[in-house]
Amino acid sequence: MKRFITEISLKHPKAVYVTVLLLVLISGGMMPFLTIDTDPENMLSENDPARVFHNRVKQQFAMYDLIVVGAVNTEETGIYNPDSLQALARLSSGILGIEGVLAEDQWALDTVDNITQEGQGEIGFEWLMQEAPVTQQQSYNVRHAVNRLPMLANTLVSGDGQAAAIYVPVESKDYSYRIAEEIRTLISQLNSSDEYYITGLPVAEDQFGVEMFVQMGIAAPMAGLAIFALMWWFFRSIALVTGPMIVAMATVIIVMGLLIGMGFTVHIMSSMIAIFLMPIAVVDSTHILSEFADRYRKGADPGEVIREVVGHLFTPMLYTSITSAVGFLSLMLTPIPPVRIFGAFIGFGIVLAFVLTIFFIPAYISRMKPETLASMQQAVHKMEDGGRIGRWLPRLGLSAVRYRKTILAGFAALALVSIAGISKIEINDNPVNWFKASHEIRVADRVLNDHFAGTYDAWLVLEPESEQESIQEFVNAAKTISEQAEAQNISIELPDFNGSTEAFENNLQDLAASLDDRLFDADEAEAAWLDKLLALVEQTQESRRLFLDPDTLAWISKFQESLVASGLAGKVNALPDVVKTVNRELHSGEDADYVLPQTPNGVAQTLLQYQSSHRPRDLWHFVTPDYRSTLLWLQLTSGDNSHMTEVVDFVNDYIEQNPLPAGIRYGWAGKAYLNVIWQDAMVSGMLNSLLSSFAVVFLMMLLLFRSFKYGVLAMLPLTLTITFIYGMIGWAGKDYDMPIAVLSALTLGLSVDFAIHFLERFREALRTTNSTSAALQVMFQEPGRAITRNAIVIAVGFTPLLLAPLVPYITVGFFLASIMAVSALVTLVLLPALLGNCWETVTASSKRNSG
Amino acid sequence: MKTIKQLVSVFLLVALAPYVSSATEQAETKQPTLTAEEIVSRASLASYYAGADGSAEARMKIVDAQGRRQLRQFSMLRRNVEPGGDQDLMVFFSRPSDVRGTVYRVIKHPGNDDDRWLYLPGLDLVKRISAGDKRTYFVGSDFFYEDVSGRDPKADSHQLIATTPELFQLRSTPKDSKSVEFVEYTSWIDRKTFLPVKVEYTDARGKVYRRMEVIKTEVFQGYPVATEVKISRVTRGTYTLMQMRRVRFDIGLPQDIFSERSLRNPPTKWLKAK
Repeated sequence: MKRFITEISLKHPKAVYVTVLLLVLISGGMMPFLTIDTDPENMLSENDPARVFHNRVKQQFAMYDLIVVGAVNTEETGIYNPDSLQALARLSSGILGIEGVLAEDQWALDTVDNITQEGQGEIGFEWLMQEAPVTQQQSYNVRHAVNRLPMLANTLVSGDGQAAAIYVPVESKDYSYRIAEEIRTLISQLNSSDEYYITGLPVAEDQFGVEMFVQMGIAAPMAGLAIFALMWWFFRSIALVTGPMIVAMATVIIVMGLLIGMGFTVHIMSSMIAIFLMPIAVVDSTHILSEFADRYRKGADPGEVIREVVGHLFTPMLYTSITSAVGFLSLMLTPIPPVRIFGAFIGFGIVLAFVLTIFFIPAYISRMKPETLASMQQAVHKMEDGGRIGRWLPRLGLSAVRYRKTILAGFAALALVSIAGISKIEINDNPVNWFKASHEIRVADRVLNDHFAGTYDAWLVLEPESEQESIQEFVNAAKTISEQAEAQNISIELPDFNGSTEAFENNLQDLAASLDDRLFDADEAEAAWLDKLLALVEQTQESRRLFLDPDTLAWISKFQESLVASGLAGKVNALPDVVKTVNRELHSGEDADYVLPQTPNGVAQTLLQYQSSHRPRDLWHFVTPDYRSTLLWLQLTSGDNSHMTEVVDFVNDYIEQNPLPAGIRYGWAGKAYLNVIWQDAMVSGMLNSLLSSFAVVFLMMLLLFRSFKYGVLAMLPLTLTITFIYGMIGWAGKDYDMPIAVLSALTLGLSVDFAIHFLERFREALRTTNSTSAALQVMFQEPGRAITRNAIVIAVGFTPLLLAPLVPYITVGFFLASIMAVSALVTLVLLPALLGNCWETVTASSKRNSG
Repeated sequence: MKTIKQLVSVFLLVALAPYVSSATEQAETKQPTLTAEEIVSRASLASYYAGADGSAEARMKIVDAQGRRQLRQFSMLRRNVEPGGDQDLMVFFSRPSDVRGTVYRVIKHPGNDDDRWLYLPGLDLVKRISAGDKRTYFVGSDFFYEDVSGRDPKADSHQLIATTPELFQLRSTPKDSKSVEFVEYTSWIDRKTFLPVKVEYTDARGKVYRRMEVIKTEVFQGYPVATEVKISRVTRGTYTLMQMRRVRFDIGLPQDIFSERSLRNPPTKWLKAK
C-alpha cells in the first residue's frame, strides 16, 4: 500500500500537482459564499427544547433585540440636570429617525408615559418628558416622576440617579452595527460632558463578527508565517520548506472551501479551523523532512531515500493522524452544532493533510534540484551536530534515566496536586467576557451594571399547565345546552372547537358576539337558551384569564420581592407592578394605594385604563392578550452562567416551598438562561467526547503496539498532561468555559502523537540494539529531535492566537501551546524514566511480540 | 369575442353616464368654491355631529401583528349642544364581560380641553380624567381617543391638493406639532357625503405609519354613517376594525342623562331601546 502510493507520487508528480491544484481551485471558489454566524443561540440546535421555548416566548411577548445606550454623569445632580436631560432627549429623538429602529417601541425618558394625579384628584397619562427640562427644578420633577414608576426606576434611570438609558429596539440584528455606528455619530454631535456607552447583545454579536474576520484575516496568516519561519530555521532551505507549506495551505483551503460550499456558516468555533489545521498539517511533512535530511547523502537518489523514509514513517504517521482525527471527531458526540462542525471538519482536515503529505511531499522532493538538496542536507547536519536541541536532548534523556525515581515520584506528586486542582474548577462562561477587559463593550457592560439593576435579561414565564382540559370542559357544557335547546326546536350552532388554543379564544369571542347579536331580536324562549350559553361563554372567558386573578398576581408579587431580597436579581419587572401603579393613581396616588385590586374585574378595569395611555402595547411584554401567560423580566447584573444557575436554583427552591397557583407551570427563557443550557450541554458533552476518544485512542494504541504495556505507556504522557493542564486551570481560578471545554478532547488526539513516535522508534531501536539504555541513547538523537521540532512547530504555530482580539482565541492559543510543550516534555522525560525502570518487563514483552 | 367586449364597454358607458355627469354637475354647481377649511369642517359635522343626538352600538376587533384578537363592545350616546361645537358623549362598555359597566363621560369643547370622567365598577370608582393630550389610545385599540371623539378641525392647517369627481384630497399639518405624533396627514373625503374614506398619517421619516379606512358606509334616517372603520398601524402590522350597529338619530335624549349619576346607573332605557 505505502509503496504503491510512493511509486505513484514519484512516477507521476505532475498528475499529483494538477490534482491538488484542482482541488484547491474548486474549494477556493466556494470561499466568497462565506456567511458569518455570531449568535450564541446557535450553540444550541434549532430544535433544542430550550431554544424553541425561548423563541416562542420572544414572539408571544414581542421581545425585540435591544441596543442599550447609557449616559453617565457622576456629578452631584447626576443625570437629573437640564444639560444631561436635554442631550439625552436630543439623542433619543435622533435615534428615532434612524432607519431600522422600531421607533414606537423605543424606551427612553422622552418616549415613555407618566401616569399621575393632577389637579383635584384627576388621573392622567402624559409623556414623562415631552420637553427636556430647562431648569434644575424641572429636572428634579422628572426624577420625582421616574422614582414613582417602578417599571422605570432603576431600569430607565439608575437608582443612584447617575445614569440614564435608552433602549433601542431594532428591526433585525443585521442592522445593529450600522445603527450603533449612527448612534455613535449622534453622540459625538451632542456636545455633552456626560459619558456615553453603547452595549446590548446585537451590538456585541455584530462586533464579534467583525473581530472574527480580523482573527481569520490576521491571526491565521500570522500562524502560517510563524510556522514557515520556524521550519526555515530548522531546515535552512526555502525550497524544502515550501513543500510542507503547500500541504498546509492546500489543506486549509480545501477544508474551509468545503465547509462554506456545503452551506455551513462560520461560527466562532469554525473560524478557528484554519489556525488549528495549519500546524497539524505540517507535522507529518516535518517528520518526513527531518528523516530525509538525516538520511540523504550527497549524490544519493532522492527517490530511493524517500521510499525508505516513507516506508519507515508510514505507520506512525497514519496512526498519529488517525488518533488526532479521532480526538477532533469525538467532538461530534457533543450536542453543540458549531462544535460538531468544528470537530468534523478538522478531523477530516487531518486525514486530508496526511493523504496530501504522502502523495505530495515525495513528488515534491523528487523534483528538487540536487544542489538544493545538498545545501539543505549540509545545513541540517551542521545545525544538528552543534544545534541547541542536539546538545540539550541527550542530557535530558540521561537525567531522565538517572534520576528516574525522583522523576517518577515528582510526576506522581504533580498528578495528585493536579487532581486537587481539577476539583477546584469552576464551570462558568459569559459571552461578554469573550471580549478583552479593555474592550469598549466590556467597559460599557461594567459601567452600566454598576449603576443599573442589571443589563442581562432572564425571563421567567408562567403559563397554564394544560389547555385541552378547560377547552374540553367548555365544549361538553356548550354541547349540552345546544342539545337541550335543539330539543325545543331552537337551533344554536357551535363553532368547531378543535383548532389551536388561539383559535379557541377567537371562537369564544365570535360565539359571544353572534349570541349577542341574536339576542337583540330573539323571543323569550329563544333568549333564555341564548342567555344561558352566553353566560357559559363569558364565564369560560373570564376563568381562562389566569393572570387577572388577584391571588395569582399576589403570588407573583411576593415572589418578586423574595427574588430581589435574595440579591440574585437586581430587579424583577412584572404585571403586578403595572396593576398596582395604575391602581394607586386611580385612587389617591398615595403609597397606601399601591396594592392589587380585590377582584379580577378590578384588575381588568385597571389594565383597561393602562391601555388608554400613550403606550398600551408595553403591557403585552408582560402578559399575553388572552391573559393566559405572563412574563417576569429579571434584570441581572452579570452575564455569568454561574450567576444564572444560582437564580434558577433559587427559583426552584422557592417554588417548591411556595407552590404556584393551581394549574400554572413555569419555564425559563432569555439569553442568560440559554447560555446556561448550552454550557451544561457542553460540559457533559465534552466529558463524553473526552472519555470516548480516550477509549478509542487506547484501543488504537493496543492495535498499533500489540502490547498492553506499550498501550498504557503511550497513554500515560497525555493523561498526565491533560490532568496537569486542567489542574493548573483549577488552581489558577480560570473558569472552565467554552474554549477550555473544547480543548480537553482535542489535546488528547494531538499529544498522543509524541508518545506514538517515541515508543514506535524506541521499539525499533530496541530490536536493533537489544539494550534499553542503548535504545534510549538512540532515541535522544534523531527521533527526539523530530519530536522536539514538532512540538515547537505546533506550539509556535498557535501563538499568533495570542494576538487575537477575542479572549477565546487567546485562551485556545495559550493552552494549546502549553499543552504541546508540556506533553512533549513529559513524553521525553516520563517515558525514558518508565522504560528504564521497567527494563525487564518491557524487553520481555517486546521479545514476545517480535518473536 | 371582440364584439362581446365592445358590447360590454358600450353598456358600461351608457350605464355609468348619468353618474359621471351628475358628479361633474354637482362639483361644478353645488361646490364651486369650497375652501380646504370648509371641507374639513363639513367632514367633521358629517362624521361627528349628524342629527341633534344619536345612539349606536360599536364593536372593536383589535388584532395584533401575530393575529391575536381582542374584542371591545360598547354603546354610545351623543347629544350636540351646538353643531360643530360642544357635545355630550357617553360610552358604556359591555364586553369583555370583566370590564362590563365601565363608563366614559365626555363633554367635548372643540378648541379647548374636554371634560372627561370615568367609572370603574370593579373598583367602584368615579374618577376625573385630566385634560391631557387627546392622542392617547382608546382602550388598547389602534384608535386614539381623538378618533372616537373627533379631532378639532382648527387644530391643523389644511390644504386641498387634488379634486377628483368623487373625492377631495387634502393635506393637513398640525399647528402644534408637539402635541401629535404625526408630521402630516392626507385625507380623502367623499364629495357627496363629506365622510372621509381614507386618512394616511406620515411620520418624520416621510413614511405612512398609520391609516384609517372606511370599509362600509350605510345611511340611517338620511344620515350617511361609516359603519365599518379600520385603523391600521402599518409599521406594526396591527389593526382595529370598528363596526357600528343600531345607529339611530334624533331620538330625543334628555340633557340630564349626561350626568355623573349615569356613570353608576346607566340609562338602560336609552341603551337597550329597539
